[in-house]
Amino acid sequence: MSDSDRPVVLIVEDEPDVAETYRLWLREDYEVEMAHDGDEGLSKLDADVDVVLLDRMMPGLSGDEVLEQIRERDLDCRVSMVTAVEPDFDILEMGFDAYLSKPIRSEELHETVENLLDRSAYDGLLQDYYSLVEKRATLEATKSNAELAESEEYDELKEEIAELQDDLSDSLGGIEDDADFIATLRGLSNDEAE
Amino acid sequence: MTKRSEPQETMYDLSRVLDFDALSSVRPGTSLLVAGPAMTGKDELALELLRDGAREGEGAVVVTTNDDAADIAADFRESVPDLEDSQLGVIDCRGDSGGDGEGTEGVYVHHVSSPGDLTGIGIGITKALEGLHNSGRDQGRLALFSLSTMLTYTDKKTVFKLCHILSSRLDAAGYVGVFTIDSGAHDDQTLQVIKQAFDGLVEVREDDGTRQARVLGLSSDPSDWQDL
Repeated sequence: MSDSDRPVVLIVEDEPDVAETYRLWLREDYEVEMAHDGDEGLSKLDADVDVVLLDRMMPGLSGDEVLEQIRERDLDCRVSMVTAVEPDFDILEMGFDAYLSKPIRSEELHETVENLLDRSAYDGLLQDYYSLVEKRATLEATKSNAELAESEEYDELKEEIAELQDDLSDSLGGIEDDADFIATLRGLSNDEAE
Repeated sequence: MTKRSEPQETMYDLSRVLDFDALSSVRPGTSLLVAGPAMTGKDELALELLRDGAREGEGAVVVTTNDDAADIAADFRESVPDLEDSQLGVIDCRGDSGGDGEGTEGVYVHHVSSPGDLTGIGIGITKALEGLHNSGRDQGRLALFSLSTMLTYTDKKTVFKLCHILSSRLDAAGYVGVFTIDSGAHDDQTLQVIKQAFDGLVEVREDDGTRQARVLGLSSDPSDWQDL
């Protein structure tokens, strides 16, 4: 548990030296938690965890099995698989949000964690945007055009909607990237399952 | 991030299919909603917009909850005589495995387990766009029909978000999107919400046996109703 506002990264990695290296790289920017195998990873996972770095090959529960349980528990965290070899299969289809292949450089690790946090931020913005759009639709359905023209609330709402639209097109580069696109859609399916 | 309003971008002319001024020069990245009652030819209109582009050499991506991929492929082959390999992608969301793929040679086909499998649809669209891009097509049109079927699998919030995300993706690809919805199948509030995910709206209606359409949202005033 952390009482700061910093994003929480959970490292699930069975090699202590490797895990410690990641922790040292990340601890300035994030709350870092560590788990030494899949079972410990699952027990440390709660709603506070934003990003999970999940080693694929571990004794006991494998990374794939841990991922499956994360998806089943409908946790909102984003998961990057960490592999020793470049995967020869579609990691997006498997439900990972990103992957890193060893050896990982510090810069690469930071970039991946930031990108995954951006996706969560995008989801939040999209949810806010929807709420405003729904409010607007309700006003439009219940008030006459004359009433709307007079309504300050309606004007403000339209302004807020335009602002959020800009924020959305600025975040994640407007969903230019395939992995961002699919992960964002996966987020929708998860929301719906709740 | 790059601004997408560069002057050299090629506009889309949709007025060969729908003869409205507002549709003669449509910015890449524009997404349109085609709304109207049942049996007013909305899906056919969306398909014709894609076939028209394909005749000019553009890419076409069809996301369907209603039709067989092989039927779509046959239809394109018949009405787009010069259709090339890897010019058409079909994401078939009806939930059958699609048999042996007969009749879809040269067409990229992706089967999705159900219209509610949004991740699967996203993967299909990504691969279709990738195929088109690799074959050198940087212009294209995507049609999704229908949102009404999707709304029976998931709620309006999810469909709204889906439309927004797809529109953003099409914007990044420089494509034009056409989505259809049966206006008689949903309450006003739902329609009002879904409309707001789009840049423009094409309304279709039937009046005394004549099909009519009008365009809203792309220019400051709505167009008049015109016979189709």
